Amino acid sequence: MRFHLVRRSEVRLIRKICLYLAGIAVSFIIGGIILSSLGINPLSYYRDMITIGLIGNRYPGKSVEGLLKLFVPLLITSLALALAFKMRFWNIGGEGEFIAGAILAAVVAFKLGDSLPGPVVVLLMCIAASVSAGVIGLVTAHLKVRFNTNETLMTLMINYIMLYVIKYLGETKADWNFFLREDSERPIFAKFPENAIMDGIEIGNFKLLYTVPAAILIAVLVYFYLKSTKQGYEISVVGDSVNTAKYAGMNVYKITVRTIFLSAALIGLAGAFTASASGTISTDITNNVGWTGVIVAWLSKLSVPVIGIVSLLISVLQYGCQAASASYSQIDHNFADLMQGIFLFSILAADFFANFRLVRVHTAKTEPSKASDGGSGKDV
Amino acid sequence: MKKLLSVLVASVVMCGALFAGCADTGSESVEGGNTGSDFTVGAIYINSQNDTAGYTYAHHKGITTAMENLGLSVADNLKIIDNVPEDDEQVMTAIEQLAGQGCDIIFGISFGYLNAFAEAAEEYPDIVFCHATGYLSNDTNFNNYFGRIYQARYLAGIAAGYKSLEIGNNDLGYVSAWGTEYAETCSGINAFTLGVLSVNPDAVVHVKEISTWGDQELERQAAEVLITTYGCGVIAQHCDSAQPQIVANEQGVYGCGYNSDMSVEAHDAHLTAPVWNWDVFYQLAMETAMNESSASEFVSNIGGNYYGGLSEGMVDISPLTDNNAPEAAEAIALARDLMVSGEWDVFSGTALRFSGEAGSVTVEQVSMDLMDNENNIIVAGGEPSVGDDVIQGSMNYYVAGVVDES
Repeated sequence: MRFHLVRRSEVRLIRKICLYLAGIAVSFIIGGIILSSLGINPLSYYRDMITIGLIGNRYPGKSVEGLLKLFVPLLITSLALALAFKMRFWNIGGEGEFIAGAILAAVVAFKLGDSLPGPVVVLLMCIAASVSAGVIGLVTAHLKVRFNTNETLMTLMINYIMLYVIKYLGETKADWNFFLREDSERPIFAKFPENAIMDGIEIGNFKLLYTVPAAILIAVLVYFYLKSTKQGYEISVVGDSVNTAKYAGMNVYKITVRTIFLSAALIGLAGAFTASASGTISTDITNNVGWTGVIVAWLSKLSVPVIGIVSLLISVLQYGCQAASASYSQIDHNFADLMQGIFLFSILAADFFANFRLVRVHTAKTEPSKASDGGSGKDV
Repeated sequence: MKKLLSVLVASVVMCGALFAGCADTGSESVEGGNTGSDFTVGAIYINSQNDTAGYTYAHHKGITTAMENLGLSVADNLKIIDNVPEDDEQVMTAIEQLAGQGCDIIFGISFGYLNAFAEAAEEYPDIVFCHATGYLSNDTNFNNYFGRIYQARYLAGIAAGYKSLEIGNNDLGYVSAWGTEYAETCSGINAFTLGVLSVNPDAVVHVKEISTWGDQELERQAAEVLITTYGCGVIAQHCDSAQPQIVANEQGVYGCGYNSDMSVEAHDAHLTAPVWNWDVFYQLAMETAMNESSASEFVSNIGGNYYGGLSEGMVDISPLTDNNAPEAAEAIALARDLMVSGEWDVFSGTALRFSGEAGSVTVEQVSMDLMDNENNIIVAGGEPSVGDDVIQGSMNYYVAGVVDES
C-alpha cells in the first residue's frame, strides 16, 4: 500500500482552524506526557503557565510588565524580519542588528544621559540604534544586489561579530571602557543614567512602558506600509520575481537596499527599546529574538496581524513556562524551550495537513490523481 | 483521511477535557500550599537546578540541605528560576516572578546579578535579598555572601607541599580559570602557594590560565602541559571539572581538586580538595529571616555582609586520602587550629613553617615579609593580614613562588 501527497485545491478556513487547534492540543498532550513522567500534574502546570503565574500572585502588575518586556522586542523584530522575508531576502542577522542597536543606544545613554533631558536622550538612543543597525542591513543589501553575495551567510556572520563585540566590551576592564561599572573590580556593565531609562504610564502597581504603544503603532504602520503603499507593493513584486520587477521598470537595487535598511533599523530600534527598558546592556540582551523572530514571521506567513498574535502567544509561553517552573523542582527553564519546539512542530504539521492530503495509491491501476493534480504528488 | 480527521477531533476533545479539569485541581493545590510553614525561599540560578555537579549544583545542595535542617519543605517552600543569564532585565523578571509567588528571601548566586539585586532590594523592602560573590549591599534587607576559600586552599597547599617533598619534585602545577584578573582566583593561587611553601620553601607553583570558568578540554590540555612541559608532580586547580585530576591520575602524578572530593574521578592521584559548605550560610540566612519581624532588620541581625571561613564551617577540605604524605594530616590540623581560633591568617606578615616527622610535627610562626613575585613587599614582617577588601577585590599580584606560565 502506498500513499501520495496531493495539494488541496481549496483550503476552507474552518478546516484550517480545526487543524491548528488539533496541533495545539497534540502538543499539550505530548507536554502532558512528559510532565506526568516527571511526576507533575500537567493540569496545574498548564494552569500556571497559561495564567503566567497570576493566580495568587502578590504583584500581578509586575507579571504583566514582564510579559510585555518579552513581547515588545519579539513583535518588532518579527515584523522587521517579515519585511525582509516578503522580498525573499533572508535576513537572519536579527541578533547582530539587535545587539548593534543596543550598543549604540548605550553609547548615547552613557555619553549624553547626564546632560540632556530624559525624552531627548531616549529619542537620540532610538535614532542612533536604528541608524547603526540599518547601516549593517544596508551594507549586506548592497553586497547582495551589486555582487550577488549570499545574504544568509552575510547576516549570519554579523550575529557572531556583534556578539563578540559586546562580549569584548563587557569583559575588558580599561580606562576607555565607559560601558562598565567603575566601582567593580570585576568587569560588569554599568547602569544607564536616570534620563536614559524608558519611562511609562503608572497605573497603580503596574507601569505601562511607552515601548508598548510604540510597538503596536509600528505594527499598524508596517501593516499599512505593506498593504497600501507603492513601496509595499514594490516589495511584494521583487519578492515574487526580480525579473518581473525589472521588466516593470522598478529599481530593484533601490527597493532592496531601502527595505533591508528599514528591516534592520527596526530591529536596532527594538534593541534600543530593550536596553532603555532594562537600563543597561548585556551579552544576553537579545533573549534570542533574532532567532525566535524568524519562527514567528514564518508561522504567521508574514501576515502582520497574525505576527501580533503569534508573538504574544510565544511570549506567554516563554514567560508562563518560567513562572510555572518556579514551583516545580523537577522542571528547569529548558522545558520552556522544549514546549516551544513541540508547539512549532505540531503547528507546522497542522499547516501541512491543511494544504495537502494523503491519497492512497492503488498500485494495480494507473494513478488518476497524479495527472489531475499536476504531478505535485510525492511518495510517502 | 477520515480516520486521520477523527483522531484529530478526538485529540481536540481530549484537550477540552484537560482544561475542564483545570479548575478542580487548581483549588486543591492552592490549599496545599498553605500547609506547614509559609516561609518561602526563592533562588535564581545561573545553570540548571538539575545539574549533578558544578557551581549551581553546590548552591542548590546548600539551599536544600539548609531547608531540610530547618524543617522547611523543599517541594512547597522553595521557588527556583534557573538558567537565568547575567542580564539585568531577565534577572529582574525572575526576581519579580519570585516576589509575586510570595518569597520571603531571594538568593542570587551569580556575580552578574549584582545590579538587578541592588535595584530589587529597594523596590521590595519587605523581601530579603542575598547575593553571592558580589560587593553591593544596604543596611536593611540586602547583603552579599562569600567564603574564605583561600583558607581551605592553604590547607590543600600543605598537603601538596608534603607530597612534593615525598616525591622529590619541587615543581607544582595549578590549572586556573583566570589569573590576576579576578581576586577570587588570584587569592586562591596565592594561598595555595603559601601553603606549599610552609612545608617546602624551595617549591615553585606553575600557573596555567584557561581564561574561562569551565571548559573540560582546555582544563585537560593545561594539566597535560603542566605535567609534560614543566614536569609538575602535583596538580591543583580552580576550574569546574575534574579533568586536571583525571590527567594527573593518568600520568601517575598527584593532585588537589576543587569543589568536591575528586578521589571519585582520580583515585590514585587525589590528595584533598578545598570544598564549600554553602548550607552554612543558607541556614544562617534563612533562620535570621524567619525569626525577624521585618525584612529591614535582616542585615543588622546577620551582621552585615557574610564572609565565613574555616571557623564557621563555610569552607573546608575534603577528607585526606591515603595518597597523602604521613605528615600532612597533623600539619593541616595545626594550621586549621590557628585559623579557626583567629590567631593567624594566610596573607599576613607571619609565615608558618612546619617541621618534624609524622607523629611529632610542629609549627613555627616566622615573622617575614609577604612578597609578590616581582620582589615588592605586600605585608611587612610581623604585620597583620591584608584586609578582606583586598582578598575579595583588589588582589591582582602573585606571591613569590608563583610562576605565570600563560
